[in-house]
Amino acid sequence: MTDYTVDELICVCIARQIEDGEVVAQGIATPLVAAGYILAKLTHAPNVAFVSAIGNSICYNWAPLSLSRVEEIWLGRATHILSFAEIAGAVLPTFSPKEFFRPAQVDPYGNFNNIVIGDYQAPRLRLPGCGGIADVTAFSSRIYLYVPRHERRAFVERLDFRSGIGFLSGEGEEERRQRGVTSPGPRYLVSDLGQFDYAHGRMRLISCHPGVSIEEIQAQTGFPLEIAPDLHETPPPTAEEVRLLREEIDPLGIRELETLSGARRRRKLREIIEREQFTILNSQFVRQMRDTVRQSLTGSSKKAH
Amino acid sequence: MINKVTTLTEAVKLVREGDTLALGGMTLYRRPVAFVRELIRQGTGDLTLLAFTASFASDLLVGAGLVSRVRSCYFGMEAFGLAPMFTKLATAGEVKVIEETEASIAFGLRATLAGVGFMPGQGWLETDLLKVRPDVRLVDDPYSDRRYVAFPAIKPDVAVIHARLADPYGNAVLGGNLAVDWELTMSSDRVIITAERVVDKLEERADIVGLRVTAVVEAPGGAKPTSCYPDYPLDSAEILRYVETCAGGGFAEYLTEFTNNSD
Repeated sequence: MTDYTVDELICVCIARQIEDGEVVAQGIATPLVAAGYILAKLTHAPNVAFVSAIGNSICYNWAPLSLSRVEEIWLGRATHILSFAEIAGAVLPTFSPKEFFRPAQVDPYGNFNNIVIGDYQAPRLRLPGCGGIADVTAFSSRIYLYVPRHERRAFVERLDFRSGIGFLSGEGEEERRQRGVTSPGPRYLVSDLGQFDYAHGRMRLISCHPGVSIEEIQAQTGFPLEIAPDLHETPPPTAEEVRLLREEIDPLGIRELETLSGARRRRKLREIIEREQFTILNSQFVRQMRDTVRQSLTGSSKKAH
Repeated sequence: MINKVTTLTEAVKLVREGDTLALGGMTLYRRPVAFVRELIRQGTGDLTLLAFTASFASDLLVGAGLVSRVRSCYFGMEAFGLAPMFTKLATAGEVKVIEETEASIAFGLRATLAGVGFMPGQGWLETDLLKVRPDVRLVDDPYSDRRYVAFPAIKPDVAVIHARLADPYGNAVLGGNLAVDWELTMSSDRVIITAERVVDKLEERADIVGLRVTAVVEAPGGAKPTSCYPDYPLDSAEILRYVETCAGGGFAEYLTEFTNNSD
């Protein structure tokens, strides 16, 4: 039995949804998704192409996740760089890349909210905004969702604001199309408790993560759950998947930030920044030592001539 | 070509009360922070802040009370969490949010560049964004039975872009992270370029053409603590210090320290 954490399980579930050769997009501050995509690339999907919101680029290469030097991955290793107007105006509509979105609230039909909690005119909390979610969910055929903390306040019967399009109120594809929504709706959702699909246009539990019961998931969900007849347990991460995540893809543990908030998140950030600083200084030191050795070697070989 | 080199103090005077001010760069990358520092010192207010994505620099402007309206598709601190002052003031209704998305800003700027009143897009349909932006209308496709959202043209009064390199005429090199800076320089009435270095002649091809540029300012380190790839990375420790200081109610002290800083 491999030892793993819940953030690693979410990364693995995301990776397993990726098919080889796909174009995958990731948004702002979504390290679980970035780690999942890279894991897919290193296992079963070596030919994925990344469309990165950080860097506005198309990238076939990857590098370990970073907090301070994230541009070295998505710009330094990019194959093609565009302006964000071209990403929004051409790349996203043309490729309809697979993308995992993180709703603040999601309803039974997979519509979701990233704008405000509470009444729009007098909110309890203003959220950062929906980025391009309201744009792409109208047409994308590859909408995937993830919720790092499965709680009743995230899974709600009624949204406070709809900024991401799912199956509306459960209308069929033809009726949605008449209303201008050409997307077939979200395909999948993963949380820290289980995996879900939208086979009948409504969120349906397809697997419980190891050690989690249906009752527990229902108790944390603010609406009645549909349950798939072939409900199973989520296959846990393999030893190799966990090794790749910890040693190759995200040695700093940036993926964990998405499961934390408030003071605990700030504490984790401090730890990551210190480790990243140490890693950078260390690699600079190694490079300097190597250069010094090289110089002394070429110096001595010149003398020999 | 006209030499447009000036000082930060003079360049900030190109911003007037009530202007729509566009900040170049993305989130925590290549933001015109030195310019924002001088703008806060001069105290030009009642601004409509347009930022494709908004973060540290925008949060300082909002917290300093200079922003009346925000137009952005994302206002946050990325991995560092919520933008403290925007979250506080927007929740309290003290700063008005004009809802935008990636497409509404990108298409709005492109409409201005094309000289038309709107650019149609597939987004926003069936969302509540249309309810809170009654100025955004729908349009029928004259060639099919489809209906689109007509994203209205956006025309900023002033755009400020931080570049790696610029020449005295305003041609500038961005270093890869293009954001929507080309579109901002082409669509704004006045354009200010701050640059790590101003050189007589660019050796690289320019990302920004100087034809639309009003002023050029040399501002070494002018994006810090945000990044200026590949010259310097994001100063994560400083961004975290800002978030932590604000969490402890220390925004005012941070702002004083920030504006007194001579960088």
